[in-house]
Amino acid sequence: MTSTFLRHELKAFWRSKNTGKSIAVRIVMGLLILYFLAIVSVIGFGLDKFLEKAAGKDMMITYCGIILLYYLTDLFSRLQLQDLPTLRVQPYLQLPVKRNSLVRYLAFTALFSVFNLWPFLLFVPFVFKVIAPVSGGLAAIAFIASIAGLTVFNNYLALYLKRKANLNGWIFLVAAAVIILIGLSDFLWHIFSIRNFSYLFFGNLIHYPVLAIVPVILGAAMYYLNFLYLKDNLYLEELGSRKVARYKNSTDYPLLNHFGNIGDLVGNELKLIFRNKRSRSAFIMGLFIMFYGLIFYTNPKMSGEGYKVFVSMFMTGIFIINYGQFMYSWQASHFDGLLVSKVNFVDFLKAKYLLFTIISTLFLLLTTPYVYFGWKTLVIEIIMYMWNIGVNTTIVLFFANRNYKRMDLSRGAAFNWEGIGSNQWILSLPLLITPFLIYGPLALLHQANTGLALLGLIGLTGVLTRGFWINKLAADFYNKRYTIAEGFRNK
Amino acid sequence: MIEIKNLKKVYGGAVVVNVQELNINKGESVGLVGNNGAGKTTMFRMMLDLIRPDAGHVSSNGENVAGHENWKNYTASYLDEGFLIDYLTPEEYFYFIGSLHQQSRAHVDDFMAGLTDFFNGEILKKGKYIRDLSKGNQCKVGVASCLLQGPELLMLDEPFANIDPSTQFRLKSILKDINKNRGVTTLISSHDLNHITDVCDRVLLMEKGKIIKDIATSSSTLNELEQYFGVGQIAPGNAAEREQR
Repeated sequence: MTSTFLRHELKAFWRSKNTGKSIAVRIVMGLLILYFLAIVSVIGFGLDKFLEKAAGKDMMITYCGIILLYYLTDLFSRLQLQDLPTLRVQPYLQLPVKRNSLVRYLAFTALFSVFNLWPFLLFVPFVFKVIAPVSGGLAAIAFIASIAGLTVFNNYLALYLKRKANLNGWIFLVAAAVIILIGLSDFLWHIFSIRNFSYLFFGNLIHYPVLAIVPVILGAAMYYLNFLYLKDNLYLEELGSRKVARYKNSTDYPLLNHFGNIGDLVGNELKLIFRNKRSRSAFIMGLFIMFYGLIFYTNPKMSGEGYKVFVSMFMTGIFIINYGQFMYSWQASHFDGLLVSKVNFVDFLKAKYLLFTIISTLFLLLTTPYVYFGWKTLVIEIIMYMWNIGVNTTIVLFFANRNYKRMDLSRGAAFNWEGIGSNQWILSLPLLITPFLIYGPLALLHQANTGLALLGLIGLTGVLTRGFWINKLAADFYNKRYTIAEGFRNK
Repeated sequence: MIEIKNLKKVYGGAVVVNVQELNINKGESVGLVGNNGAGKTTMFRMMLDLIRPDAGHVSSNGENVAGHENWKNYTASYLDEGFLIDYLTPEEYFYFIGSLHQQSRAHVDDFMAGLTDFFNGEILKKGKYIRDLSKGNQCKVGVASCLLQGPELLMLDEPFANIDPSTQFRLKSILKDINKNRGVTTLISSHDLNHITDVCDRVLLMEKGKIIKDIATSSSTLNELEQYFGVGQIAPGNAAEREQR
């Protein structure tokens, strides 16, 4: 059965309208993964040397101390980057396919993630080089088993949280906040020490290899929890419709009435965002990103202006990046309706600009308290805000004209997992890199302020010449509309 | 009103639509019938500039629909749920469509009050998003939004398919009314031969992309169509019934 599912998924991949784009993403992804694997392997194989240099005789203590620390950061990055395995289960549910084999497939394929390779490359060479010769084979096996157990545990914990978060974006915020708080209470407030705790376990593991059973059980339990959760949720669609639905009120945004037809379109899109789980997650994700300032600015090593440019762009523009890159797929299910209606495409584009401007402005206002870290932080934020609404918006819409993939918002979000993952971030790389192509070289030449001024100027020019870009985009859309509409009709 | 010339669409080597010439005059009520895959929906989509024809063109009021947008001012259409914004409530959707035609909310409310029978209490003030409505009720929303636009040309693709019998009768009388009393040109496709011959003055029969019959409806039309679709052979029950008559 597993091989059938795999074959179906391969077909889905190759026969999708967006194959070209997906392949490009995979290739970039593959190169990045190879690069990181190489780095991690070098660190892993040299770990004993590095630790010897840094800690000398206490190398064992340091080694044992960093393991749990690694898993904490691992969990944090998994939450943001790991992709959820996708399979459209619906067509199989009424067929004589065992539910268990469906769920097992979903649960098992989740193990094929590079995240699960890293800890082995990082920690296992040390086990062979240092622990095995000194403490014997049994201890080495115990270490490897523990690492495997913790990796599996992290893998499924992250997936479990992500699945939950897809249903309710706040869960993601809470999970991320808890991880950050754990980190802060160690490094900032010194309430407890993760390293000591980690050493407590792994230090004892050398003498009592039996302890390895704890992480293995943890891993197995987490797998089982995921399995049960998935199995329960195969019914979710049905549960969702049986639930007594709350009365859905009609909403109105009086402020938008000033913008006439364009305001109506923005109002509709705001409703789209807040009434669909996936788009709502994209918005809540933006709220989460606002904490990036806290992570970066409080860290003296990462509070340089270059970082501020990056963080500011992210904080004020995350919604443009996150939501914009799936445009106009959000509206795929009623795209035909839009085309035959009296909506003028120039108005349609103006509405997109207005929407991005409104939300970016909101995020800018929410992040103004970062002025605490110096008035220049705020200046940079405003500059990057201009950049976002002046330049990034246009880039995102340019790519939106080239996005032919249908997205079904109305389907239950529980099995709609294409949301937040590394693939998504890859697509946003061009957006993230462009400002640094301008700022970077100037900063290296000690002309950082000129760089900032230039960024601001380009952003402002972008805003002032919007009319021009809107006409260009409208003309471009006009040529592509048949392809877009056909792609969106393609379920 | 509508003029089609040499309209052609080919998908992967197969000709889906190939219409040499078709003229629809103002005020006509035209029905389109044909088996699955005959090209009805594809032709509708080309008439609405949703698909690029491989050859030929469709003009509406003397103007090519592709490349112009004037036809949108007087054309209302509902082909499938893809025409509805499914995360809005029906009221919000009607207000939106109304606002595109410069209609006030009060006007929209008034208009919808006139459709109470057609809605049968299933649409308005139910506190549901369109996506939570059944297919039949979604169809009612689509048809109502078309009527709201006060069109000169109305195009519906299989409007009878998902709605209950009472609504089918109400829809038929609405369609007859707007055609006879308000001069709206209607173009409707359906698999239900009874309905189509009842509502339309002219019936087009499509087969493999071509219009093979173009008949003015008379008392013999239904028989003629049934002959073509082979009711007698496929459903022996019906044939027996007719023999009794």
